[in-house]
Amino acid sequence: MDDYFAEAEEHIIAVRRSLLALEASIGSNLPLPVLEELFRSFHSLKGISAMVELREAELLAHEMESCLRLIREGHVAVTSTNFETLVDGAKVLEAVVVAHRSGQPVPPVGRVLEQLESLARPAATKSAVVRGSVGSGESSKAGADRAVWRVTFTPSPELVARGVKVDTVRSRLLQIGQVLSVAPKVVPGGGVSFEFDVETDRDQELATWKEDGLTYEPLRTGLNAEASESDADRNSGVTELSTVPEISQGIATSGRTNFVRVDLARLDDLMRLAGEMVVTRARLEATLQRVERHVPFQEWRDLQEHSAGIERQLRDLREGVMRVRLVPIGEIFRRMPFVVRDLARDTGKRVQLDLAGQATEIDKFLIERMMDPVLHLVRNAISHGIEPSDQRIAEGKPPEGTIRLSAATAGESVVLEIADDGTGIDVQDVAERARTRGMSVPDGPIDARTLLDIICAPGFSTRDEADRGSGRGVGMSVVRRTVEELGGALGVKTEAGRGTTFQITLPLTLAITDAIIAHVGEHTFAVPQSAAREVIEVETTALRSIERNELLAYRGGTLPVIRLAQLFSIPVQDRPRFHAIVVGTGLAAVGLLVDRIAGQREIVVKTITDPLIHVHGVSGATELGDGRLVLILDVFALSRTARDRPHQIEGVSA
Amino acid sequence: MQTILVVDDSPTIRRMVRTALGSLADVTFVEAGSGLQAIETLAVQPVQVVVLDLNMPDMHGLDVLKFLRSHRQYRQLPVMILTTRGDEPSRDAALQAGASAYMTKPFSPAELVSSIRQLLGAPSPPRHV
Repeated sequence: MDDYFAEAEEHIIAVRRSLLALEASIGSNLPLPVLEELFRSFHSLKGISAMVELREAELLAHEMESCLRLIREGHVAVTSTNFETLVDGAKVLEAVVVAHRSGQPVPPVGRVLEQLESLARPAATKSAVVRGSVGSGESSKAGADRAVWRVTFTPSPELVARGVKVDTVRSRLLQIGQVLSVAPKVVPGGGVSFEFDVETDRDQELATWKEDGLTYEPLRTGLNAEASESDADRNSGVTELSTVPEISQGIATSGRTNFVRVDLARLDDLMRLAGEMVVTRARLEATLQRVERHVPFQEWRDLQEHSAGIERQLRDLREGVMRVRLVPIGEIFRRMPFVVRDLARDTGKRVQLDLAGQATEIDKFLIERMMDPVLHLVRNAISHGIEPSDQRIAEGKPPEGTIRLSAATAGESVVLEIADDGTGIDVQDVAERARTRGMSVPDGPIDARTLLDIICAPGFSTRDEADRGSGRGVGMSVVRRTVEELGGALGVKTEAGRGTTFQITLPLTLAITDAIIAHVGEHTFAVPQSAAREVIEVETTALRSIERNELLAYRGGTLPVIRLAQLFSIPVQDRPRFHAIVVGTGLAAVGLLVDRIAGQREIVVKTITDPLIHVHGVSGATELGDGRLVLILDVFALSRTARDRPHQIEGVSA
Repeated sequence: MQTILVVDDSPTIRRMVRTALGSLADVTFVEAGSGLQAIETLAVQPVQVVVLDLNMPDMHGLDVLKFLRSHRQYRQLPVMILTTRGDEPSRDAALQAGASAYMTKPFSPAELVSSIRQLLGAPSPPRHV
């Protein structure tokens, strides 16, 4: 059953994408490949829903498929009303699948089924042929006398210079019929040609393209059994179409044959096992060090080598498992155009959505948990950020607002940005509201961090009325908590009249990471390697105190430092020199002062979930080979402490 | 002057590859957004090395590679497979199909440069032993 849901979800995602592509071309020529893809998706959905006896989904998919067949064949035009019907159908179908998955009662499908049927009916009964709506421009006698031609195109530098290329040839062929397949061929005596198999009844046009390096020959003549069968089908209107034309059969299919779908829990098990092995190997290493004196050198060296081998292989294993878990972040993005479209319509605003970096890969676990926060931020951007068109015009902005969703990999992190070019957050207004609600807000200019603290405070909302798009102020606090629970950070930049950007920084993956191990007094800490920029040695005399903060001259500027011993009240002796681990970048950079650096190693991160032992500045714990617990520092929180909250450092160190 | 053909359906990746390889001396680039375009480009102009994505519309990179290797004229052409982690078949399958080198995205610009330099036959910088 899980397989069903997984595949159904894939098809529904594909359907959403295709419908959007279709919407863009309402009123003009419809892109045939998009229709084909939609048709195939519903066809598959029908098939698999029938397999699991999800009757409602099967019926819906069947009706959608029928409608699409009529559209594809030009019997029904795509108007915006018809399009809405299709979108509704897709939505209800999705709701049916979702409800079934969570064991909820399946929503009623009668109404939308009727709409779909009425969309299909006039065409089927009256056989009113609406022509010219399909890009292929097939003739009304389509199927009866369509033949398949093999068209061969041999590219040459002259032709390419004239703009005659494999792509242009293909779009020409698409104008007169269906391209069934295309494949490159080696020309005897050197050179390459492309063979297109085209189903068309307008072969006379092929003759006119001879001078463009095109030759053609018949593969199959018209009036064959298959064509007349589908013709009969069309007359009866709703019966099953026996031949689903497979565009690009052959070569294009080879890409999808070797995928395996795996339950995420199994990968989690593998990851956990790999994690446990890392710990066990660290124990082995520690034991090896202890027995060195008691074992003959040659024997010991062999042991050592094997141990090193295991370490390498473990690393490979871990990377392998991690790679399997990575999926493109586009999975989140793909849902957004629908959300934006619906909300823009509801609010009467004009919004355009830009997507970038869909191919950025991120752990599947994170994808599923980031869906809601991103959704929330996008909704906020539309309801609070983007202004109505007339207001935008009055401010000299383009009438259409833009929301930009982008993702990029930065080191071992993934950075997600949700940016709008709307009105920006009125920082003073937010501060006022916070004060009237009794929140403590520092006087003077409000910086980004404080702003974020306010808007992410539970119960805070800039709206007096809740609207459909953005709720009652519980959202942002959940967004921030979700991001931080996943080991990430939320940031905000806003400029009055120019827009707002939310930035989510997430670790690429969880569980195992490289870390720098450092000692402070009797205690051991771990700093994630991905967060550390460098380790420097610091003379105590080089530290300067300003307003009870300590600063260090660093690369032509200054760097605030935090004495971990002070922060965690660890008794230490005065030292003439320290090591500083530089973490964070730009203004958020900070140096963490430790006594000694013990080295660099892989650690298994165990997040501390017990709310009672939540300590500021600590993100989790790990155990090293000797079984002792080591705290993992939350460098985001620490650098925040150092830069934005000098008073807190004083509080801790006092 | 040597020509590098960069094949990827993402213009962004193509740009990143060009940027990364921009440090090579005396090279020019041609781009292709699909497997068919790549083969067409190879048919109409001389190319010294190909950087080839795997998962593309129209024609899978592995099929492009197999096609090239079945063609006498392209049997020796250096082809580097540059593919996204997660959608690659095993490295072995690519090497068996005749890939000259194999790298996953996100890639390290330095590694890409040194691999391409090797494929172009230029002497690599001396390695300290």
